[in-house]
Amino acid sequence: MRSGTFKETYPELIALTDSRLVWFWGAVLAIALAAAPYLVNAYLLSLLTAILITVTGVLGLNILTGYTGLISLGHVGFLVTGAYGYAVVSGRWGLPPLLGFAASGSVAALLSLVVGAPSLRLRGLYLAITTLAFAFIVSHLIIEAAPLTNGARGITVERPSFGGLSFASDQAFAHLCLAIAILTLFGTLNLRRSRIGRAFVAIRDNDIAARAMGVNLHAYKLLAFTTSAFVTGIAGALYGIYLSYVSVEGFPFLLSIEALAILIVGGLGSPLGAILGTIFVTLLPELTRSALAMFGSEAEALFSTGAQELKSILYGVVIILFLRFEPRGLVGIWHDIRRLWVHWPLRF
Amino acid sequence: MTVLLSVQGLSKTFGGLKAVSGVDLDVAEGEICSVIGPNGAGKTTLFNLISGVLPPSAGRLVFAGRDLREIRPWHFAGIGIGRTFQNLALFKHGTVAENMLTGRHVHLRSTVFDAVLHLGRTRREEIAARRRIEEIIEFLEIEHIRDAVVGTLSYGQQKRVELGRALASDPKLLLLDEMVSGMNREETEDIARFILDIRDQLGITILMIEHDMRIVMDISDRVHVLNFGEKIAGGTPDEVRSDPAVLEAYLGSKHGRAEPARGEAAAHVG
Repeated sequence: MRSGTFKETYPELIALTDSRLVWFWGAVLAIALAAAPYLVNAYLLSLLTAILITVTGVLGLNILTGYTGLISLGHVGFLVTGAYGYAVVSGRWGLPPLLGFAASGSVAALLSLVVGAPSLRLRGLYLAITTLAFAFIVSHLIIEAAPLTNGARGITVERPSFGGLSFASDQAFAHLCLAIAILTLFGTLNLRRSRIGRAFVAIRDNDIAARAMGVNLHAYKLLAFTTSAFVTGIAGALYGIYLSYVSVEGFPFLLSIEALAILIVGGLGSPLGAILGTIFVTLLPELTRSALAMFGSEAEALFSTGAQELKSILYGVVIILFLRFEPRGLVGIWHDIRRLWVHWPLRF
Repeated sequence: MTVLLSVQGLSKTFGGLKAVSGVDLDVAEGEICSVIGPNGAGKTTLFNLISGVLPPSAGRLVFAGRDLREIRPWHFAGIGIGRTFQNLALFKHGTVAENMLTGRHVHLRSTVFDAVLHLGRTRREEIAARRRIEEIIEFLEIEHIRDAVVGTLSYGQQKRVELGRALASDPKLLLLDEMVSGMNREETEDIARFILDIRDQLGITILMIEHDMRIVMDISDRVHVLNFGEKIAGGTPDEVRSDPAVLEAYLGSKHGRAEPARGEAAAHVG
């Protein structure tokens, strides 16, 4: 057992983790995920792809809500903006997919300056309501801007191919999503240990002290909105490609709630929590469906007819249960298990 | 001695309430200067004005030759004004080291793009910041708690961390708002020693609000007394101790209401 942590150089002090085991098992997991698309059936592959895209989007929301403490109910707005940014640039205009991805992030980031502006004055519930309004305004604008967006008819999106690689097959597309999810994970982890991440967390924990430390509150709140929206926009582009058809109906408001539910279930402010939460919340409806199936086909039919309503109820229930019994989320449970593992049979 | 901070006719009103009115005081470089006064005298408001938390209603603040009215609130740390808060304003979910690194914010330059990649400049900058933080951790003798989450520490330890966070910005002037309130004698003496070391070894000028008269009279070079927002006295500890206006503020006027026993009150001031 390790009796303590001994570090001899300053670079060791700022490393992401001091444990070789974490790197080793992380690499094993990444390789397993890379191999998985060839091993599982189409249904599981589709579920895996959805989880990877959701992880990217939730890591984006985590920058704003987890790190900076600004609650946004409008992230579905950035998701749909990103999807349309990609669909218009690479689908309708026929420009290279990489430009499409750049557009999806940038348009969402630009738009975030508009919705971020109220956050300089509002916080908590009031900001949540404002961002909620933003999400509805965005979908309305997209329908109205028919010459650009095809209005309510939506845009068909092809699987991309760039850099000599084609992501047309389900397996290759899952790899693309995996690569982007891993990049986003390391990006947000690095952001968190930089001056900028510390400034975000300082704003969340104590804004007056943050300003006394030299943090420009307005600039950093906007920066949190912009980086968060950029990442969410990229996730939106991936989700649009995943659906192969981008329309306003494909991005219901429930996605905003789902993302918040994932953050709360996983543990606010923790990238690991975002991943655990995504797995849990994405699998929850599937598990519920299997559970209902045990009561016969009639119960299962109930699920397929009222899928959206049942999902909303499930999200509501898990949010309440986690806030009541484990506010630290799954990541809190994970830490407890780890502590138990290290210290057993002692209690702490 | 050169004047580092000059406060001239400074006033702050909240609606009809004059929290600070017409206060003049100078802090010379290398001094340990105290501000004392009864509760509600406007001491913390004065600190909030000097550190940019609140804008003044009238008067001038000159720091190292700069008019502070032209400085944006978030630039105060950058020009060399550091502070601690009366009721602890730490980032309580972070570790001690992380809190202190946040205090280093103004000395770091990486943009969001550098930060996400964590290469080259950001990496060098973070390592340099961590090195400086470790020096301060050693200086304040908090090595054993450097990785502890701040919210789990005792009050006295948190105060020390907050002092460290203020030091991390390498200030020229350090504002300490009631550092030793709620501390026992031993902890108070530790802090007094740190304050002296900060001045002597790090060359930082100190302006502190304090209710504990022992530490004020022992280590201050100058003491300024506020009462009802106005400055009623200022000078060396000995001068202030014998000033009739100060005795009146603390003990009530001769014709005043409930007057505390003379001996007890004299012990409080002296």
